[in-house]
Amino acid sequence: MRSISKRTIATLAVLLPLSLALGACSGGGDNTGDAGSGGGDDNTLTVWTWDPTFNIYAMEEAEKIYQKDHPDFTLDIVETPWEDLQTKLTTLAQSGQTGELPDIFLMQNNAFQKNGINYPELFSPIAADAVDFSEFPSAVTAYSTIDGTNYGVPFDAGTAVTALRTDVLEQAGYTVADFTDITWDDFIAKGKEVLAKTGKPLLSGQAGSSDLIMMMLQSAGASLFDDDGKPTITDNATLEAAINVYTQLVKDGILVEVNSWDEYIGTLVNGTAAATVNGIWIIGSIQSAADQSGKWAITNLPKLDGVSGATNYSANGGSSWAISANANVDLATDFLASTFAGSTELYDTILPKSGAVANWIPAGESTVYQEPSEFFGGQKIFADVVAFGADVPSNNTGAYYYEGRDAVSAALTQIIGGADTASALAEAQANVEFAMQ
Amino acid sequence: MIKLLRQGPKYLFLGIFAIFSIFPLYFMLVSATNSSKDVLDSRLLPGGELFANFAKLTGAQNLWGAMWASFIVAVGITVLALIVCSVAGYGFEVFHSKGKDRLMAVLLLAMMIPFAATMVPLFQLFSRVGLVNSLVAVIIPAISTPFLILLFRQASRGFPHEIIEAARIDGLSELSIFARIYVPTMRSTFAAAAVITFMTAWNNFLWPKVILVNNAFQTMPMLISNLSAGYVTDYGVLMLAVLLASLPTMVIFLILQRAFAQGITGAIK
Amino acid sequence: MTLSVTRSGRNRKEQPLSASVNGPRPWLTGERRRSLTGWGFLLPAALLILVFSFIPMIQALFLSLQTGRGAGLKFADPLWTNYARLMQDETFKLTLQNTFIYLIIQVPVMLILALVLANLLNDRNLRFKGIWRTAIFLPCAVSLVAYSLVFRTLFAADGFVNDMLSGLGIIDAPVNWLGDPGTARFVIILGLLWRWTGYNMVFFLAALQNIDYSSIEAAKVDGANAWQTFWRVTVPQLKPMILLTAIMSTNGTLQMFDESWALTRGGPGYMTMSMSHYLYEVSFLKNPNFGYAAAISYVILILVAVLAFIQLKVGDKRD
Repeated sequence: MRSISKRTIATLAVLLPLSLALGACSGGGDNTGDAGSGGGDDNTLTVWTWDPTFNIYAMEEAEKIYQKDHPDFTLDIVETPWEDLQTKLTTLAQSGQTGELPDIFLMQNNAFQKNGINYPELFSPIAADAVDFSEFPSAVTAYSTIDGTNYGVPFDAGTAVTALRTDVLEQAGYTVADFTDITWDDFIAKGKEVLAKTGKPLLSGQAGSSDLIMMMLQSAGASLFDDDGKPTITDNATLEAAINVYTQLVKDGILVEVNSWDEYIGTLVNGTAAATVNGIWIIGSIQSAADQSGKWAITNLPKLDGVSGATNYSANGGSSWAISANANVDLATDFLASTFAGSTELYDTILPKSGAVANWIPAGESTVYQEPSEFFGGQKIFADVVAFGADVPSNNTGAYYYEGRDAVSAALTQIIGGADTASALAEAQANVEFAMQ
Repeated sequence: MIKLLRQGPKYLFLGIFAIFSIFPLYFMLVSATNSSKDVLDSRLLPGGELFANFAKLTGAQNLWGAMWASFIVAVGITVLALIVCSVAGYGFEVFHSKGKDRLMAVLLLAMMIPFAATMVPLFQLFSRVGLVNSLVAVIIPAISTPFLILLFRQASRGFPHEIIEAARIDGLSELSIFARIYVPTMRSTFAAAAVITFMTAWNNFLWPKVILVNNAFQTMPMLISNLSAGYVTDYGVLMLAVLLASLPTMVIFLILQRAFAQGITGAIK
Repeated sequence: MTLSVTRSGRNRKEQPLSASVNGPRPWLTGERRRSLTGWGFLLPAALLILVFSFIPMIQALFLSLQTGRGAGLKFADPLWTNYARLMQDETFKLTLQNTFIYLIIQVPVMLILALVLANLLNDRNLRFKGIWRTAIFLPCAVSLVAYSLVFRTLFAADGFVNDMLSGLGIIDAPVNWLGDPGTARFVIILGLLWRWTGYNMVFFLAALQNIDYSSIEAAKVDGANAWQTFWRVTVPQLKPMILLTAIMSTNGTLQMFDESWALTRGGPGYMTMSMSHYLYEVSFLKNPNFGYAAAISYVILILVAVLAFIQLKVGDKRD
């Protein structure tokens, strides 16, 4: 009868997904067997990180290297986008469930202070005698150092470069050397020439993104916060200088603002912009335009005029490996020390395939780093970048870094729209102070 | 002839709206067959990269695993939600009382708070019972929603109570009345509810990402998030993944749409 | 006493049928038993909501009375510190304004569109119904990441929309859709309309199935044209469903997160950011201040509740 078969169907319809789900539940149990709990398998480490072609690839190679001396060692790498990783870390810490943490996770340098200060329960300190931190540029280890203790092993470099289209420069009568070790005023003057002769702006950037301003700020050793963690957005001569340069670039049409990240990448890949200033990791996106091979070169940044302490070097982004509070600390420390803080072989292996440029100073001395890059017209870009990295001034991020950045971004949008710089920055300062309450 | 002219504006309106709806999807479809560079160029014609993109996608991500996990979650939630909430909505309407009205208002409050605010306490709840990283934990909170209960309650407004009375007089139990009379009659509501619940469950991102802390399982939205998380995003592959992620909901809709759009007349009789 | 079997079980006097027949009533009368069964029907759903929504919600309420960073939260002194702070938070006020703009413009337009479309598609004589229905619903099936990327690309400075508009001669220079607050908000509203009209249309379609076609025919016989039939006959019978979609859409728009996050990231400045997006920022992106975030969520809740209450009072009429 219809009603009986309907009931059977209904029952099945309920039982089937339930049994699948319950089966999935226990299946999940098996999978989580070696999830970061300190009581897990003694020879396995769990790692949370993102990007298969970059970070994950590097970890896989590190695993192989470590296995040479420790054949029973395995690595369980779980792909987790940074934003999701941050959400998970926050959720775990807020709910007191640090037992779910992996052994190692990657963390953006800019977020280190915020997480370290607010959620110390997430981290295990890294002993200074286990890892030789002097082999990393102090500017980079500063990000993951809190109250004198190290919590991170620096990995990928956010060292900033100016990447330029040599063919476009040639049309305007310039070479890369004309853009090396210069000042921003000089850059602006040359940029106008390039625009006049080729119609292409030198730079592109996301509207309202303060990345470039931050890089300029850091290049002069300045920050948005002072050593006590107080915001220094007003009365910050370097910041004002940086903003003035930025507004000038936009006004003269040398920097074209776009509205999203994908548009920005589009301007590079489709040849709308003739150059860009960003962390070295941008070359991954640039190189996705195969038809532009051989037409790019990199150099250092222009420096700010009239600002004391100005240099041609800066950074944007970058990340470090952290050891969690739930980790098999000895194994994790030994692993990181032997690979990311101790193995030239590792960095040699990962460099060609992924373009992952090391922060670790000894790595830069190997021959692989002297290899010329075809895409960049035979330039030994990696050697150059490592050299740049050593000269990057450090900056204060602090726990409220993102608040500061966003406030400056909002101020920048207003200033581009015509507002007075001083009052916009004052408003930004007020906003940050409010957020810090 | 005149009839056709009078129908003209109708078709025009529908046509314009349909194009407005479809065009971004067309772009998505086309982008799945193009290289990343072409997608960024807003190329509107199909390219030849479909297989290459597919190979890259399956090489980089566990596509079938994510599809399967999403499927279990979505089906589980849909079936359980339909049962639990239709019964509740029916109960609210057919056994109406002032008390039940007040309860409904209170339950409605539960959906008015943004999920981001209740996420951490909910996570704590599940971790205390050891259900973190299980698909069960993904399914359970989503089963009963005030929205679905309200939907069934409102839909039951038009359901004539003479039939229920007659059935009671005939000696049927309340549950039988529900199962044998209400359910078949309200097919269109069930179908609509099924489509909507499936779609919401399938696209749910925040809670699965949080409760599946160690990525023991991944759902499709999490997989898509992975694709845009790297230093370099392959937009063609991303669009392909999104296209594949959108297919199940489209299929469910195609299957069920006749049920809620048949134009059944006199259904209640 | 009179035996009254009314059309609906709703307004019946509390006299069980059995009273006049069987003498003094036992406690568990048909009436009471039925009422208990009714509560039984509700129980599973209500319990689930109680455990998984209410308890976290109450915890969030306590959170909103606490201050501190990270996991070191303590009760504030005075208790309402977070709420007082909200009153002075310029960014929050901006997000409040943005969200209300979306609410006031998008919800009515969307519901009317959905209603009209559903009605058009309910016509027996309409051809290619399946195609229209599918086309209009499909946007809902697409995941957020996709459609935000597509919209951003379409509305880029050199994107399709600008190309098309200048090609048609409607504009002279490319419009900076996402860079100007006014047009950026417009893009978000357009995105919301695109995505959710089909969703609401589905509910109206389902509801239309349950309308007695004879009432429409009667109107036609009486000489009403399509427009009048629609407003005077169809819409009143759709009131329960209209109320539902109105409450849901208000709720959805006031809590809107996805579009603000994926389409514009709240930009330019904070000019398109929604309240939920700000809530997420305060919790997970900026220096975590969960007490403050909880306070924001309760403000959202109060707003939604007030509006829903008004809508219920106005529209929830039982005849």
